[in-house]
Amino acid sequence: MKGTIRRSLVSLASVALVTAAPVRAEGPTSQDIAASATNTSAVLTNGMGPWGQRYSTLTQVNTATVKGLVPAFASSLGGEKQRGQESQPIVYDGTIYVTGSYSRLFAFDARTGEKKWEYNARLTDGIMPCCDVVNRGAAIHGDKIIFATLDAHLIALNRNTGKVIWNKTLADYQAGYSATAAPMIVKDMVIYGNSGGEFGIVGSVQARDVNTGELIWERPTIEGHVGTLRGQPNGMTGKLNASWQGDMWKTGGGATWLGGTYDPDSNLIFMGTGNPGPWNSHLRPGDNLYTSSTLAIDADTGVIKWHFQTTPHDGWDFDGVNEFIPFDATIGGKPMKLGAKADRNGYFFVLDRTNGKFVSASKFVMQTTWANGFNPKTGRPNYNDDNRPGAPVGAEKGKVVFSSPSFLGGKNWMPMAYSQQTGLFYIPSNDWGMDIWNEPIAYKKGAAYLGAGFTIRPIAEDHIGALRAMDPTAGKIVWEYKNKAPLWGGVLTTAGGLVFTGTPEGYLKAFDAKTGQELWKFQTGSGVVGSPVTWQQDGEQYVAVMSGWGGAVPLWGGEVAKTFKDISQGGSLWVFKLPKG
Amino acid sequence: MSEPRSGGRLGRRALLGGLFGALGAAALLPQPLRAAPLARVRAEGRLRVGVYAENRPWSWSEGGVLRGIDVDLGKALAAALQVRAEVVEFYAGDDLAADLRNVVWRGGLLGFQPCDVMLHVPFDRQLMLDSDQVAIVAPYYREGFAILCGPDGGDCEAPPVQFRGKRLAAETATMSDAYLLGSFGGVLGAGVRHHTTGYGAMAALAGGQADVAMGTRAQAEAALHDFPAAGLRRRRGPIPALASPGWDVAMAVKDNSRTLGDALEAALAELATRGDLARLFAAHGVEWHAALAG
Repeated sequence: MKGTIRRSLVSLASVALVTAAPVRAEGPTSQDIAASATNTSAVLTNGMGPWGQRYSTLTQVNTATVKGLVPAFASSLGGEKQRGQESQPIVYDGTIYVTGSYSRLFAFDARTGEKKWEYNARLTDGIMPCCDVVNRGAAIHGDKIIFATLDAHLIALNRNTGKVIWNKTLADYQAGYSATAAPMIVKDMVIYGNSGGEFGIVGSVQARDVNTGELIWERPTIEGHVGTLRGQPNGMTGKLNASWQGDMWKTGGGATWLGGTYDPDSNLIFMGTGNPGPWNSHLRPGDNLYTSSTLAIDADTGVIKWHFQTTPHDGWDFDGVNEFIPFDATIGGKPMKLGAKADRNGYFFVLDRTNGKFVSASKFVMQTTWANGFNPKTGRPNYNDDNRPGAPVGAEKGKVVFSSPSFLGGKNWMPMAYSQQTGLFYIPSNDWGMDIWNEPIAYKKGAAYLGAGFTIRPIAEDHIGALRAMDPTAGKIVWEYKNKAPLWGGVLTTAGGLVFTGTPEGYLKAFDAKTGQELWKFQTGSGVVGSPVTWQQDGEQYVAVMSGWGGAVPLWGGEVAKTFKDISQGGSLWVFKLPKG
Repeated sequence: MSEPRSGGRLGRRALLGGLFGALGAAALLPQPLRAAPLARVRAEGRLRVGVYAENRPWSWSEGGVLRGIDVDLGKALAAALQVRAEVVEFYAGDDLAADLRNVVWRGGLLGFQPCDVMLHVPFDRQLMLDSDQVAIVAPYYREGFAILCGPDGGDCEAPPVQFRGKRLAAETATMSDAYLLGSFGGVLGAGVRHHTTGYGAMAALAGGQADVAMGTRAQAEAALHDFPAAGLRRRRGPIPALASPGWDVAMAVKDNSRTLGDALEAALAELATRGDLARLFAAHGVEWHAALAG
C-alpha cells in the first residue's frame, strides 16, 4: 500500500518535471543520495548512506522473525569468471545492481532475480592485478550506474540499458595503477581514489563531473604534491619535505584504494590513505605524511581540512585506508560529532569529525605488539621500539620481529557497521600475526630490489576471524563471535536488533546486536566476502549479499591457508525474505 | 606471497625425470604424456618468449617495436630450435613469484597466455626453492652494480661518502637506491633523486639532471653506449660495503618442461661458444659476462 502511494507520487513528480524543469536524467539525485540513509525502499550508496553506517531502520526481519528468513532467489554471475565477489548491491526502482569480479556489472530484476543486462569491461590481457580481480561495487546517479575497472578506468553506464555513457581513464595501468573500490557521489561529482602496486605510486583523490566524467579537482595525498581545481593549481598537500627526506615524497605511496565516506553537514569527504614506500622504514625517516592517515577533504575544492595519522612512520605495512564512519554520541556528558575507524594496526579510533581531534584509540584485536596504546594528549602511538623490523646489515636480513596484527590487518577492506539503536560498532576483525623482516635483496623485475619478508601465522587455537561489537564511548568490546577462517566480508546492522555478516565457510549469518548470539545462518555455496544490504519492497523486507570466495586472503599460503584451502569459488547474488503470511 | 605448495620439489622432479627418461618407448605412452613441451614447441613451430616491459637495455618498446638484449636472445634461441620467435612483453608484478605465476606456469588472470620461456629470471637458490612450479635454467649473464658520473660529477673514484651534496640518481626501491639512501649512516639520502627505471637514472646524467647515478652494470654500459657525447664516466674502483656481489641472470620454463629447458641450455651453450652471445650483447653496448653458475 505504502509502495503504491510512493510510486504514484513519483509519477506525478515526473509529469511535473516535464513541464517545469530542464531536461534531466531520471533517477536518484545528489540530494536523494545525501539523504539515503533513511530511505528504506532503496540502497543508493556503498555504505547505505553517505556516512557509511550500514544501518537500516527496518524491523520486519528482527531477532524474533529472522529464524524464518529464506531465499527469494539466487542469481549467478555465470561464465568462468568466478573468484572473489566483494561487491555491495545497489537497489533502486525494482533493480539490483552488482559488480562482479573481472570488472563486470550486472542488473537483476529485484523481484524475480532475472538478469536485465550485463556489462563486461574490455580489459587487455596484459593486466596482472596484484591482489585478485575483485570489484567492491557501483554508484548510482540519475540514469547512470558507475563503476571502476581493473585497468583504472571509471565507466558510467545507462542503468536501464547497460550502454556506456562515458568512460574515463583514471590512471595508467601500465604504471601499476588499478581500481577496485566503489565510487561515491557527492554534489553531482563522482569521488574516486586510486590503487596500485607497492612501489612508486602516489595516492590521490579525484572528483569528476557525474554527467561527463571530466575532472573537477584532484588532491594528491602525499605532502609536496600540488592539487588542482578546474585545471588550475590549488595548493600543495602539506608542506614540502616536512616529513619526507629528499625526493622520496615523489614515490611515497598513500594510495586511497578503498574510497571514502561523506558528511553532508560539514561538506567533508573522509578518505583513508595507504602505507608509505619503501617498506623498509629505516630508509624514509619522518612521519611520512599523509600515509596511513584519514584525510578530511572539502568536497567543493579538494582542499584538506584536517588529517589524522593512525600509524606515523609505518614499518609494518599497516595502511590506513579503512573507512571513517561519522556518528553522534555523548562523551563525558557532551554531545559530540564524531567519527570512527577500525585500522589495520589493530586500534579503533574515535575522532572529532569537525576538526580531526583525537578522542580515543582502543584495541579491537587480541594483541598489538607494535604499540602499547595511544597517548591521549598527542594522539600518537606509544611505540614498542623493539618491535620495529630492523634494517638489513650488509647482506644479512634485518631483525625479524613477530608483529600482531599481520599486515593483512586487524581489519582489512571489509566495512564495519554502526547501529543507531545499540550505539555499537560491529567490526569484522582478524586475529593473526606475522614474522616480518626487511630483506637486503628481493628479486623483482628480474633484478635486485629492496623487499620485506612475511610469514603470517594464526595467534589463537580456535579462530582467526572475530566479529566484535565495540562500544565507541567506553572503548570496550561488548561481545565477540569467533570464526575459524579469516573474516573478509562487510557488516550490516538493523533496527530489528540484528547484525549480518558473511563467512568464508559460505554462510550469511545473523546475530543479536545486543548479545552476539547467532540467530540464523544460510549456506550460500561459496565463501561470502561481500557486504550485505537490506531494503523494503512491496511491503516486505529483503536482505541481499554476494557469494563468491576470493580476494587477497587465498593468495597467501602457510599456516592460515589451512582454514580456507578447500573453499570453492563462486559468483552469485543471494536475496532473502520472510515467507508470506 | 608464496603459493600453497604441493609436494617436495626434488621428489616431483625425480619422478618426472623418470617418466621422460622412458620416452624412448613414446609410442606406448598415452597421448598427453607424449606431448612433451619441446616436441610441442617444434610442432607449433613457435617459441613464446616472455620479456619484461620497460627494462632497458634488456627489453623495451620503442614505437611499438620490442627491442633489447633479451628480445634478441629470445629470437636467437627460437632460431636455434628452428622455430619462429613470439616475443611478448609483460609488466612486472610486486615480486618474482607473481611474474613466474603470470608468465610461466599459470598465465595472467585476464587472459595472458603462459610463455614457453621467461627471460631475465635471477638464478637464485632461494627463488628456486620457493618456486616449485618452474625450473630456472640456462643462466646467461652475470649482473653486477655500477656507478656513473656526469661531466660535473667530480671525482668518480672518491669514497662514495664524498658524494654527499651531489645529485644522486637511482631507480626507486632497487639495491642501488637502498645503498645510496642507507649506507654511511644515511648521509647521502637527502640527495637521492628517484627514477622509474635504472636506465632512466643513468640517462638523467646525460641530461644534466644528476651528478652521479647508480644502477646495474648493463644499465650503465648501455647509457655509456647510447650517450657517447655526454662525457659520462664509469667508476673503475669497487663500490664499498655493497650488500650484493651481483647475481646470475637465467630463464624459467614450466617445471614439467625439462625437455625444453635442456634444449635451451644446449642452444645457449652453442650461442656462447660461437661468440654470438657476446655480439648480441655488444650490439646494445653491454659487455657479456658469463654467469658464474654457467
